Amino acid sequence: MNDASHANHAPNAMTGDAPTPGQAAASRPVIEAHDLRKVYTLGAGMEVHALRGLDLRVMPGEYAAIMGPSGSGKSTLLQILGCLDTPTSGSYQLSGEEVADLDEERLSQVRNRRIGFVFQAYNLLGRASALENVALPLMYRGVNARARRDAARNALDRVGLADRMGHRPNELSGGQKQRVAIARALATEPDILLADEPTGNLDSKTGQEILGLFDALHAEGRTILMVTHEEDVAEHTERIIRIRDGVVEASESVTQRRRPTLMPGGAEG
Amino acid sequence: MLFENVRTAFVALLENRLRSLLTLLGVVIGVFAVTSTVSLGEIATAGITGEIQAFGSQTLFVQVLFDEPGAEPFTDDDVEALSRLPIAILLQQTAGATGVVGEERVSLRLVGTVADAPEIDRSIELARGRYFSPDDAARAASVIVLSADAAEELFPNDDDPVGEDILVEVRGGRVLYTVIGVKEPVGGALGTFANDVSGDLPLETLYRDVPGIRQGEYDFLPISIDLDRDASIVEQQVTSILDRRRPPDTYAVQTIEGALSLFNTITVILQALLGGIGAISLLVGGIGILNIMLVSVTERTREIGLRKALGATPQTILQQFLIEAVFLTVLGGAVGVALSIASLWGIVQVVPFLDVFVINPVVVAMAFLVSVATGVIFGVWPARRAAALSPIEALRYE
Ligand SMILES: Nc1ncnc2c1ncn2[C@@H]1O[C@H](COP(=O)(O)OP(=O)(O)OP(=O)(O)O)[C@@H](O)[C@H]1O
Ligand SMILES: [Mg+2]
Repeated sequence: MNDASHANHAPNAMTGDAPTPGQAAASRPVIEAHDLRKVYTLGAGMEVHALRGLDLRVMPGEYAAIMGPSGSGKSTLLQILGCLDTPTSGSYQLSGEEVADLDEERLSQVRNRRIGFVFQAYNLLGRASALENVALPLMYRGVNARARRDAARNALDRVGLADRMGHRPNELSGGQKQRVAIARALATEPDILLADEPTGNLDSKTGQEILGLFDALHAEGRTILMVTHEEDVAEHTERIIRIRDGVVEASESVTQRRRPTLMPGGAEG
Repeated sequence: MLFENVRTAFVALLENRLRSLLTLLGVVIGVFAVTSTVSLGEIATAGITGEIQAFGSQTLFVQVLFDEPGAEPFTDDDVEALSRLPIAILLQQTAGATGVVGEERVSLRLVGTVADAPEIDRSIELARGRYFSPDDAARAASVIVLSADAAEELFPNDDDPVGEDILVEVRGGRVLYTVIGVKEPVGGALGTFANDVSGDLPLETLYRDVPGIRQGEYDFLPISIDLDRDASIVEQQVTSILDRRRPPDTYAVQTIEGALSLFNTITVILQALLGGIGAISLLVGGIGILNIMLVSVTERTREIGLRKALGATPQTILQQFLIEAVFLTVLGGAVGVALSIASLWGIVQVVPFLDVFVINPVVVAMAFLVSVATGVIFGVWPARRAAALSPIEALRYE
């Protein structure tokens, strides 16, 4: 129940350049986005501008939270960063490589090897068991069946679902599905983990366990970006990137905010 | 990866049993319908063609048309005039009679003919015993060669009636004939007409035993043309000889082909009709496959998006869909062909005048190909479109 929702901490160091403790030597940003725009065209010529010229830099090993009102473009941004969707315009470089220039083959490799993505809507294969779902990305990497099972078991174990491996998604609760989705993102041991509200459906205890898991992954040097609506979850990270109307409104270093200030009970509405 | 994809494809097929089954059914119906209908037409034609060949195309029938004014039966003089031609004329006279064996009373057609009838009418074959000899004919022996049906009806419990006697009642008289042979049943299209309850005996015996028969007059003359002659030329010669001897139009000369030409027309129409039905079934089957494939790919666009998001390349996804489509359609095609062969074989066994089993490999191949192509094109093409979307677009697809 950490809550440090005193808003309006000075919007410092707008984009990027957030200090990354323990990774000081890291020179090149792993994610560098410039002037990203995403326009969704609806029927009848209606347009939705989900991203309106967003800039973002993330250094290797950073652990950051993305916050913002509903509809501000958080999921849109995360999907573009995960190479799952293309921006309408702007530049996105992943470890110095312009993603727009990658061909399908290379994009598949990036999605498979470098990025673990936890969808807001889980996106599990309905007819496959939890274990099969988690093992799926490893199949596309060419890992043999036994090694896949071992890795998938291991990942499910880490999210506390060792006893639900044979269940299909429709036999799991929302929180359990969310954990299967997290396990699937972890199973490939990606160096970038992008999670869209990974604790949104979890009770606080399970949520804490997942955050503990993320802490461990962070300690291993992985880069983690996590969308969340909960201040106390965001407090867990090193940096909070605030998004409003498709641009980065503020980027706050959590260490500068005197981390846990406890005010039991009241979460911000 | 190929192996993994085969596995993935099979898992997908099993997981979507109803969809797989419906697709399979579309292919089975299409292939089965086309193969069966077209082959059925060919089997019918082959049955009739086979009959013509069995009888020999070197056969003519000359027949008096008694309805025409001035029509007269053929005489021994006519036969004499025709005998210059390279032909053999089967002289025959018939009389209705009743055959009696113990309790059995059977109406029996007596056919008086010549001893070399089996050489002239090549459809005559003996199952048992022998045909009567020129010597039997010369002394008007009281012998009879039964048709298969006559032997069956007169001697229902006797496999081999050769040597038995039959009491024959004909035009008020009663005579005793000894059975010396039994003919084979005549198979094929003509057999259904040619088989009858009859017995062959020497013309001389018939003249002696049956009062009132006009000796030396014939209503119907089967003619066998020498095998090395052109049947159509001989046909013209027969016509020109007879035209000089009697009013034209009081008789008819017919070939077997002529007699069967109606049959041929019917089978051509039948074949066209069945072929049309087959083509329509193939179309219906194809539309079925197409529909299910399109629906299933729409349904599975989200799956495609997810697989791409997890790192599947478009090629990998297409390969999976291709394996699924090829497996289903090839299996369906094989089942369709197997069903079709089984049912055609059954029909050939059951229907008497169909006795040649043919299945046209070109038709099978075509039906197979069309079904597989429909399945593959409409299974893979929409999957291709889906795989070209970004993972998120595909995941959002409704
Ligand atoms: N496929 C789409 N077609 C049209 N508009 C879209 C589409 N996806 C998102 N949008 C719009 O883009 C905007 C940003 O959406 P996005 O999902 O990124 O918001 P979000 O910040 O993740 O919100 P939430 O916190 O509710 O998940 C919204 O106004 C949404 O309506
Ligand atoms: Mg969202």
